[in-house]
Amino acid sequence: MNDVLLELSGIDKVFPGVRALKDAQFDVRRGEVHALIGENGAGKSTLIKIVSGVYQPDSGEIRLAGAPVEFSNPREAHSAGIATIYQELGLYPELSVAENIFMGHAPTRKRLGFETIDWEQMEAGAEALLADLNIHNLDVGAKVGALNVGNRQRVEIAKALSLNAQILIMDEPTAALTESDVEQLFSIVRLLRERGVSIIYISHRLNEVFELADRVTVLRDGEYIGTHNVADTSEAELISMMVGRRIENLFPKQAAQIGEVVLDVRNLNRPPLTRDVSFTVRAGEIVGLAGLVGSGRSETAQVIFGVLPAEAGEIRLNGEAVKITRPSEAVDYGIGYVPEDRGHQGLIREMTIRENTSMAVLESVSNYSFVNRAKERTLANRAIQQLSIRATGPDQTANKLSGGNQQKVVVSKWLASNPKLLIMDEPTRGIDVGAKAEIHRLMSRLAAEDGLAILMISSELPEILAMSDRILVMREGRLVGEFSREEATQEIIAHAMMSASAVGGAREGDGDYPAPARSIRKGSSPTLANAGNRKKSTSNALGGDLEGD
Amino acid sequence: MQETQNPRNPTASEKLQRLLISQEGVLFLIMLVSVLFLATRTDKFLTIDNLLQQGRFMTEIGLIAIPMTYIIITGGIDLSVGSILGLTAIVLGWTWQELGFPLELAIITGIVSGTVAGFINGLFIVRVGVPPLIMTLATLALYRGLAEGISEARSARGYPEWFFQLGQGEFLGIPSQLWLLIVAVVIFGIILARTRLGRALYAIGNNETGARFSGLTVNRHLLFIYAFSGFMSAVAGYIFVSRVSTTRSDMGTGIELDVIAAVVLGGTSIFGGTGSIPGTMIGVVLIQLLKNGLVLAGVTSDATIVVIGSVLIFAILVNNFIQRRSGES
Repeated sequence: MNDVLLELSGIDKVFPGVRALKDAQFDVRRGEVHALIGENGAGKSTLIKIVSGVYQPDSGEIRLAGAPVEFSNPREAHSAGIATIYQELGLYPELSVAENIFMGHAPTRKRLGFETIDWEQMEAGAEALLADLNIHNLDVGAKVGALNVGNRQRVEIAKALSLNAQILIMDEPTAALTESDVEQLFSIVRLLRERGVSIIYISHRLNEVFELADRVTVLRDGEYIGTHNVADTSEAELISMMVGRRIENLFPKQAAQIGEVVLDVRNLNRPPLTRDVSFTVRAGEIVGLAGLVGSGRSETAQVIFGVLPAEAGEIRLNGEAVKITRPSEAVDYGIGYVPEDRGHQGLIREMTIRENTSMAVLESVSNYSFVNRAKERTLANRAIQQLSIRATGPDQTANKLSGGNQQKVVVSKWLASNPKLLIMDEPTRGIDVGAKAEIHRLMSRLAAEDGLAILMISSELPEILAMSDRILVMREGRLVGEFSREEATQEIIAHAMMSASAVGGAREGDGDYPAPARSIRKGSSPTLANAGNRKKSTSNALGGDLEGD
Repeated sequence: MQETQNPRNPTASEKLQRLLISQEGVLFLIMLVSVLFLATRTDKFLTIDNLLQQGRFMTEIGLIAIPMTYIIITGGIDLSVGSILGLTAIVLGWTWQELGFPLELAIITGIVSGTVAGFINGLFIVRVGVPPLIMTLATLALYRGLAEGISEARSARGYPEWFFQLGQGEFLGIPSQLWLLIVAVVIFGIILARTRLGRALYAIGNNETGARFSGLTVNRHLLFIYAFSGFMSAVAGYIFVSRVSTTRSDMGTGIELDVIAAVVLGGTSIFGGTGSIPGTMIGVVLIQLLKNGLVLAGVTSDATIVVIGSVLIFAILVNNFIQRRSGES
């Protein structure tokens, strides 16, 4: 167990203007899962890029099985048995599973004197590799593009193993996975550990660290903070190591005065992912919308926001029936939407903080259609101050900011528009603990002090439970449950999300319209296929399917 | 990190430095060098008369380059501008000569047809989702074909004297159409740089989905700029006819490439998101002066094309180099 396979010591790496790593150290034993954690910008990515040969350290030593090594490119690290599974998967969507697994080293055989690909052997080899990982339901002839994220990740793991990887680096592997995919991934990781493969596991989710890892190393601001056996540490200790201070309350929730109904949605319909959805959100209230990935939460939000206009049903804002056919109308009615995909939907990353914060209120910062930059700058400066955005100033481009600060810019864009209703779709996904707590505090304050109605979509149950006054659960495009803050527990919500027979708890009846349909087809379990479908519908949503404008 | 510290109040010299290493600044220097070099080769080049004459010739390209800059900033392209120019010219001549419209009405009809042609491009791009390249490649052929069909290979000539005022006359010693170009450049340059419309175009070009999700009316903006492109091409068509005194169906053939070259040379990214009208205009002027200066210097016309191509590549390389260096420091 104390057999050290890979050892890094005294690693320095400087990028123009930034010291990414200062005297960092890290080691991996044979057959262990070693978690690497730290806030965004702590240097985790730089460190693993050094391990995988993408970057070369300015100084320091890397030893592999005791012998010093230098990787001048990823290929060399590869052949030394180090494989990386990135967040953005590096597969070819148009090629088959088998072709992807054996990309670059396909088995060949001589035919008519030519070296040709031996397809039978390749498919058999792919099947054997997958079977080794206890994956039996994946067709090796299927195109990778048709698979869901979880299956694509499995293909990537198989590909790494086909190269006899001894060390597998996984960078936020669960970020895009559904709950059941996460379970499968964990069992694969455990299987690999038993076989003596070492795994470097990077994650923002501490519960995964405790569930999976043997040891955990914390980086902060490019410096090595410490390594612990997971069994000997606690969540609180890790968080204080990561942020350098104790965070008393990860989910600060202020008690809010719940007011009038702001959003009242009745029988909203846009199949397949929004079916007959009815609910309300009141002033000062945070309503959590839970569900598996692909259950239609984001799609329903986008129906309300006009990205995917409703086919039937009614949306009332402050008691007034409105028709929303495009986002600009939703904005005019006082709805803000912090979307799930920050980089693609939420921000215009190439533009400055100033330009991003005024994007939804261009009209009000303009005189006779001339954009008033002084007003914009005031707006941006106020946002930087209020949300404590760490930036050099309002004219910094958004893509230079860390994930948490980018998210704050998106939020500030909508706060500038003085919304009545703010929809927040995965508001803290992929951002570090410190920024996460700040966003939660902000949400609480907005609801409690400004009486903002907030609809929060989240895949993190602790976040849903801690932040919501009321919790709605969606499954397969339908609302299948509604729970008050008091009655909700992790088990109840998870059960409602997954089970085919979930029935909501006490519904706070407004009484004057029919309760949401809870008829659920028996026997259809939330399958992986959902995630695949969702992928398609999302890309539709971004492409030509946008109606009107 | 030292570069990003408080960029609040730059001094005058810092401002000048920033201007010089901007895309437009670099291009302007290249233009200056080219002009000075050409002036040493022939004394016919750097004269007021010649330069004003060149201003007359480049107006059509310059006018069309304005909406082309808008379109390329959004990440689109319009290949049909030359054909719209030709179509406008033919509609103008045909309605006047064959249908007996009063000439004023014929001019308006021509410009309206050009605008409609651009609007149709926009409609298919926005509503049907045809990629701009494909749509305008199709209408490049279609509008030219229409022009040829209407004209039946006849040319219209014999316009009254007042009609030539715009294309051949002058005002305060400067060619009439050049005034029009200057006014258009100022107005549309300011619109792009300072107004909501301009901001929206940059946002769309950088991230169309993000722009939509921020509540910008993306489709309306796109529809507008393609119609605007049709309108400006039509105005250019009218000026063209007025300048050469005759109407033919092949007018403006290939002008789209000159326009796009000028826009891209002027620093507008073909992927969208960046660009400016001043940059585009320097591009237009540079190409026109090179063409003219080389011919006057006695360079053969095939060699001229080679030189222009080389200067284009050189300018883009120098600019890339400088932008990358200044981006790093």
